[in-house]
Amino acid sequence: MPVDDALLTGLQAQLGIEHREELGEVSAVMIARYAAAVGETNPLYSDPDYARSRGHADIVAPPNLLAAVINWGPGAAYDRLREDGTEADTHLPGVPVAGVRVMGGGEEMTFARPVLAGTRVSRVTVLDDIGERSSNSGPMLVLRYRDRYRDGDGDLLLESVRTVLLR
Amino acid sequence: MSAGNDAAGLAARERSLAVGTELEPALQATSNVQVFRYSAATWNTHRIHYDRDYAVAEGYPGVLVQSHLHGAFLARYCTEWAGAEGRLLELGLRVRRFAVAGETLSVTGVVRAVARLTDDRAEVSLELTETRGSDGEVCVTGAARIEIPAGWLAQAGEGDGAGLPGGGRRSA
Repeated sequence: MPVDDALLTGLQAQLGIEHREELGEVSAVMIARYAAAVGETNPLYSDPDYARSRGHADIVAPPNLLAAVINWGPGAAYDRLREDGTEADTHLPGVPVAGVRVMGGGEEMTFARPVLAGTRVSRVTVLDDIGERSSNSGPMLVLRYRDRYRDGDGDLLLESVRTVLLR
Repeated sequence: MSAGNDAAGLAARERSLAVGTELEPALQATSNVQVFRYSAATWNTHRIHYDRDYAVAEGYPGVLVQSHLHGAFLARYCTEWAGAEGRLLELGLRVRRFAVAGETLSVTGVVRAVARLTDDRAEVSLELTETRGSDGEVCVTGAARIEIPAGWLAQAGEGDGAGLPGGGRRSA
C-alpha cells in the first residue's frame, strides 16, 4: 500500500490521541547492561556508592536508555515476527503493519530528570503532526510522534519527539 | 573515547568557551559484539543488526549500528565533556548514512551558542557531527544543549578565547 488518501485519513484520525502504556521498572541490571553494551565507563551507571556520592539514591540510566528500548515486554512469538525480525507493534499508532515503508527521520530528546534504578516508567505517545512531502519515489508523509516518559509519581523523566517518514 | 570518570574529563575540557569553539574530537570503536549486545539490551530484534546475510541482501556491506546506539555515542560524548559539573538537557540527532559494525566513528562538537543563566550557571549549545573513519562521510548530525558552570565561558571582550593561556578560566 502506497501513501494514499486512506492512509492519510487513518493517520489524521490519530492526531492528538494519547496512547498510555505502563512500561515496567528500569532495573539496575538493565541500566548496567545498557551501559556495558554502549561501552560506557562512567561509574554513575554501574556503581551505587559512586552514584550516592554524586547525590543520587541509586545508579542512574544513561540519557537515552528510555528512548532506546524497542520492546519493554517479552516480545512476540517467532511466528508473529515479520520477515525483518521486528514486532508487528511498531509503537507508531495509525501506521499499518504492512505495505508502507517506514524510515526514521530523527529524534529530539529533552531530559527532565535522572532515571534511577527501580523507577517504574509509563509512556504516553501522541501523533502531533502530519506533513506531506514529495520524493523521487512518490508522495511521502512526515509524522511527528511525541513520547512522554513519566515515573510512578507522574513526574516527567524524558520527552522525545520522533520524526518518522512514510513512503 | 577517554575514560568516563570525571577527572579524565576535566583534563581535556575546554575552559574558555565561546561561539565557534571546537571541542576535542572523540573516537568511538564499534564491533559485531557491541551491536549484538545493544540489540539484546534494548530487545531490538531487527535482523539488520545481527544477520549479515540479511543486511547484505538489503544492500549493506555488513550489519548496521542502531540509530539509538548512534544516539548513545553522542550522549556519551556530551556527558563525558560535561562531567559531573555539567548536565545534558537536550539531545537531537538524525542519522544521515549507515555505519556498519566494525567501523570506527569520530564525534566532534562545535559551540554554536552560549548563554549565562545565573552568576554560577550557563548553557551551551553544541553542533555535533559523527563521521565514518573509513571514508570520512557524515553518519549523524546532531545538536545538544548542556548546562555548565558559568566559569567555563570566555569572559566578555575576550573574543573566541582560542590561544589565550588562562583566558576565561574561573577567577579564584
